[in-house]
Parts: sequence; C-alpha cells; structure tokens
Amino acid sequence: MGSRFALIIEDDADLAIIFAEALQAAGFDTGIIRSGDTALARLAVTTPDVVVLDLHLPQVAGTEILRHIRADQRLLNTRVIVATADPRMAEALQDEADLILIKPISFTQLRDLATRMSFQSPPAD
Amino acid sequence: MTRETGLARRIRQLVEVPSTDPDDARRRQLLNILLLGMGVLNLLALLVVLVADIADLYDQEWITYLYQVGFLLLAGLATIYAINRYWASRIASVLFLLLLTAILAFSDEPYELVQGRSLIVFTIPIVMASIILPPAASFAAAGLSALALLLTSLRVNITPNPFAILVFFAIAMASWLSSRSLERVLRDLRLLNRELDQRVEERTRQVAEALSRNQAILEAIADGIIVFDTNGRASLVNPAMTHLLQRPAQEIVGNDLDALLGDDTAQGDHQAIGDLLRGNDRSHSGLRFELHNKTLSVSFAPVRDSTDNVAGTVAVFRDFTREAEIDRMKSAFVSMASHELRTPLNAILGYVDMLQEGVYGALSEQQHDVVSRIIANVGELLNIVNNLLDQAQIEAGKLTLNNAPFSPTDLVEGVHGVMSVLAHAKGLELTRQIDANIPAVLIGDRQRLYEILVNLVSNAIKFTAQGSVHIRAQRHGAEQWLLEVVDTGRGIPQEAQAYIFEPFRRVDDSATRGDTGVGLGLSIVKQLVQLMGGEITLSSELNRGSTFTIVLPLIPTQEASWAADSH
Repeated sequence: MGSRFALIIEDDADLAIIFAEALQAAGFDTGIIRSGDTALARLAVTTPDVVVLDLHLPQVAGTEILRHIRADQRLLNTRVIVATADPRMAEALQDEADLILIKPISFTQLRDLATRMSFQSPPAD
Repeated sequence: MTRETGLARRIRQLVEVPSTDPDDARRRQLLNILLLGMGVLNLLALLVVLVADIADLYDQEWITYLYQVGFLLLAGLATIYAINRYWASRIASVLFLLLLTAILAFSDEPYELVQGRSLIVFTIPIVMASIILPPAASFAAAGLSALALLLTSLRVNITPNPFAILVFFAIAMASWLSSRSLERVLRDLRLLNRELDQRVEERTRQVAEALSRNQAILEAIADGIIVFDTNGRASLVNPAMTHLLQRPAQEIVGNDLDALLGDDTAQGDHQAIGDLLRGNDRSHSGLRFELHNKTLSVSFAPVRDSTDNVAGTVAVFRDFTREAEIDRMKSAFVSMASHELRTPLNAILGYVDMLQEGVYGALSEQQHDVVSRIIANVGELLNIVNNLLDQAQIEAGKLTLNNAPFSPTDLVEGVHGVMSVLAHAKGLELTRQIDANIPAVLIGDRQRLYEILVNLVSNAIKFTAQGSVHIRAQRHGAEQWLLEVVDTGRGIPQEAQAYIFEPFRRVDDSATRGDTGVGLGLSIVKQLVQLMGGEITLSSELNRGSTFTIVLPLIPTQEASWAADSH
C-alpha cells in the first residue's frame, strides 16, 4: 500500500484547509468534502484510512455519516476523528468514534494525533 | 309625596311668590294667605250686605256706606296682593298692617276699643307684624296700635289707657322673641339641610368617582383579572381576561377555575394553578403556564372585606408571551454568536499556528516573533469571547453543569502542568499539594473546575512579581473539600475585595493597564462555583499576597469511597 488517505468532512472552508494541512503534515493524502450528502457519495467509492468528521453538516448530519461508516463492512478499518464544539455530543459518541476532539482544534494538536495514528498499524488487513 | 288636588294646586299657585330668600318667601306667602282669607271674608260680608239690601233690612244710606267700605277694602286688599306678589314684600306688609289697624280702629264703638271688650283687637297687628315682617317689626306695630288707640281716645275724648299701651309693647316683646326663635330654628334647619345636601352630593360624587375609577382601572389594566368568591366561582372579570381566555364575560362569570381552564392547559399546570387558588401553595406565585399558544403567569391574593374576613380571591394573569419569546431569541442569539464569533477566530489561530510550524516555509526570526504575538492576541480574544458567552449563558440561566466522575489529582496536576510554563516564564515557582484524604474520584464538572483553576492561577501569576503561586486541594470536614490558590503578589485592597467578583469590575484600571482581559473572569468563577453549590472567598493583604478559597460539596462515587477506603 502506498501513502495513506484521509477524508476531511468539514463545511467550514478554513477549518477544512487547516485539518487537511495537519493531516498532510502527518503524512496523509487528503480530500476535502463540504457537505453530508457528497460525503456519503464519496464514501461509497473510496476507503479512506482516516475520516475527520465535523458533526454540523449541511444535508446529512455528521452522526448519520458516522453510523453509516460503522455499518459498512468495507470501512471497518477506517479510523474516525470526530470534531465537535459540543462536549455533550462528544460524550454521546464516545463509543462510536475512534477519537473525539472538541473544537477549537489546533493545527499542531491534530497533526500530532494524526502522526501517532499513522504509525499505528491498522487492526487487521 | 301625596298628590295635590286641582283646587289645592290652584290655591298654592295663588299664594306662591317669586323669591329666592326663604324668609322673605315665607312671609310673603303668609301675607298672601291672610290677604286671600280677608278677601274671602270681605266678599262674604258684601254678600250679606247685598242680601240685607234686597231684603231692605237697613236704611239705604247705611247700606251704601257698607258697599263703599266693602269695595274700598276689596280694592285695597287686591292692590296689596298685587304689590306683594309681583314687587316687594315690605311695602305690602306695611300697607296691610296700616289697613288692618285702620279697619280695627273702626271695628267697634270707640269706647269699647280703648277701654272695653275690643281693646284686644289692637294686639292682632302686633302679632301679625312679627310674622309677616322681620320679628322686630312687632315693636313698630305696637307703636302703630298705640297711635290708633291714642287717636281713637282723642276722637271720643277719653283718657288714653297707658296700661294697654304697655301691654302692647309686652306682647310685641313676646312676639318678637317667639318669632325670632322660630326664624333661628328655621335658619338652623336650613343650614343643616344645606350641609346635609352638600354631604350627600359630595358622597354621591365620591362613590360615583370611585366606581368609575375602579371600573376604568379594571378595564384599562393590561393584566387579566378574575375575582373568585368564597365558593371559588368567578364573580368579576375584566376585558383583558376575556381576551386571554377567548371567551365573553358572561361565559366566565359564575364558573370555577376548572371550568375556565378546562382542557386548554397541561395537566401539571392545571393542578399547580388549582393548588395556588385554594391557597395550598403560595410559594409558586407567578407560576407560568401555556394557554392558547400564550405564556401566562398567574398569582392569587385573598380579597378581604372591611372586617378583615376573606371575601374571595383575586387572580391576576399576565401575558408573558413576548418575554418568553425574547428569552428564546436571546438564547438563540447567544448560541448563534457563540458559533459565529468563535469560528473565524479558530480559523485565524489555525492559520498562524501553521505559519509558526513552518507549513508554508521557514520563517525569519522577526516573522516568527510577529506570528507568536498574533497567536497570543488571538488567544486572548478567544478567551474574552468565551468569557462573554459564559456570562450571557449564566444570565440566561442556560449554563448547565456536566457532572461526571473525575480525579481531583488529575485536575490539579493538569492545571499545574499547563500553568507552570507561564509561571516559569515570569520567574515564579508554581507548586501544588493534594491532600490524601480527598477521595480519588469525585463527581463534578471537571471541565468547568479546570477553567476555574486556570483562571485563578493565571490571575495569581499575572499579579505576582516574585515569589510563588501555590495550588492546594484538601478535604474540608466530612461533607466538603476545597481548592485554594495562594500567591505572594501585590494583594488586593480592602475596598476592592467587596466588588472584585462583580461582572466587568477590576481592581484598578490604571494599575492593570497592560494586563489583558475584560474583567469577567472572577465573576464567572464565582457564578460557576455557586452553580456547583459551593462558595468562593478571598483573603488578601497588600504586598503580602492573596488567597482564593473555593469550598465545594464533596460528592464521592461508590468506587471513589471504596478507593478512598483502600488507601
């Protein structure tokens, strides 16, 4: 397998760029999706190693996308980093997400976490 | 009032005079009655003369004389009547007395008049004068009678009777006194009547005013008002209430509260309002509930009568729909602003972070310095925004605690770890001490406690030039534990200690120039601590240092008590 791929699902353009840069700095190829329905369409054809998922999305909610990923056998090895500003949401999704970050999320914080994640071997191949 | 017959009314009309002075009117009426009486007598006398004339009882000369006297008298009476009725009373009365005295002076044999049986007739004008003229006129009439007596005496050459004249004046005196008393009594009565009339009028006006004022207040008042009687039935309702209930007043009066609120309110609200009305629970006065898509508040107060007995209950319903809507809008605005303000600030922070990390190429030392300053300033701005939003949420009662098990040791260690960098940069020592008696796991809002500690420690570092800042966590009795931040800074003046926890207050603007912040920090800390059921206190000595102490209720978990026991 070549370089790893991270899908950034975030409606805020600036945050999407910052997240993408952080993931790139951690050695990922990145793609940016700005709405929920496009995210579902993209997830149907790609198998990203990491998904950075914002919960407040247009069209389809982030929680819906998370549930979709968890239900798809093909996406079993996909690590999901949930980014939310709501600490209550963070608690509710504790078991479903691999990592939950509460906004504001700094570039350095995400880069360092993603770097650590990229060195971990996926659970199974 | 009895109904007058036609004749009585006719007579009354004859007697009536146009006068506004009641005494004058009374005298003139009396005079009219006398005149009419005498006129009738005169006519009867003429009739008798006519009969005598026809029957030829007396000789013709005497008859003619009687006719002349009769008609002359009649004319005199008519003239006096006319004067009395349409012009002036005094002249008519005087003329009447003169005429009467003249008639009396010729009514009998002169001898009988001055010495004998008819002497008494001269007292008639005296008594009448006191009635038809002001009372003192009886003396004038007595003089007139005395004159008539003298003249009559002279006419027939008899010695005047001085004793009779004395008696005339004695009678005048008695008449004067009795008439005067009568007039006084009448005047007093009139005054009393007038006063009574005025009082009745005044009270009537007051009652009418009070009624219309109360009615006007009730109708103008914007709150809905229902008065319930002691049986709990509506007895009075104002227009605002009919509007709130969407029913006309006739459908409200006579019904009890259950029938009025009926199925339109939630069961719980219905029950609570019923309890309020029956006085079971007055603690929820101002209870809010929903009715016909409106938010209403209701309070009840007993209505007491003049003897302080409860005569019913007045219920006041206020429409809070607009306030409730504004509350909703305010919290919507707060959450919107929270998102809208934080998002761009976080983006700026992200970009400068990337610049600093060299994502877009290496920076010169100067550029690196500028980027650091940007990061520091944006961080501060973000902090201010967060503080403002916390304050807004606290004020709106929207700030809730997220209680969960946490480790107090981790909390203190976490704050110590983060803040020691800041302390060391200023050449200060940051120490911490965690009491072994504190359970390993407690229930609380770790995030908020963390914010509180960071706030207090960063303040302590800010205002301490040299020495140390110390964080202490220890058990405080069986039910409480405390967090303390002790510094060796410049201290807080006594007068400032009173207001330091108020929003937007800082110790001294000039002294803190250059220190960042908007002064919300400590007020938010205090409100958060209160929200947690705790208390924050301050002790400080100028140039020696300050100690902030937070006492919190100790809420261990099951595992926590087990963990504490196993120590």
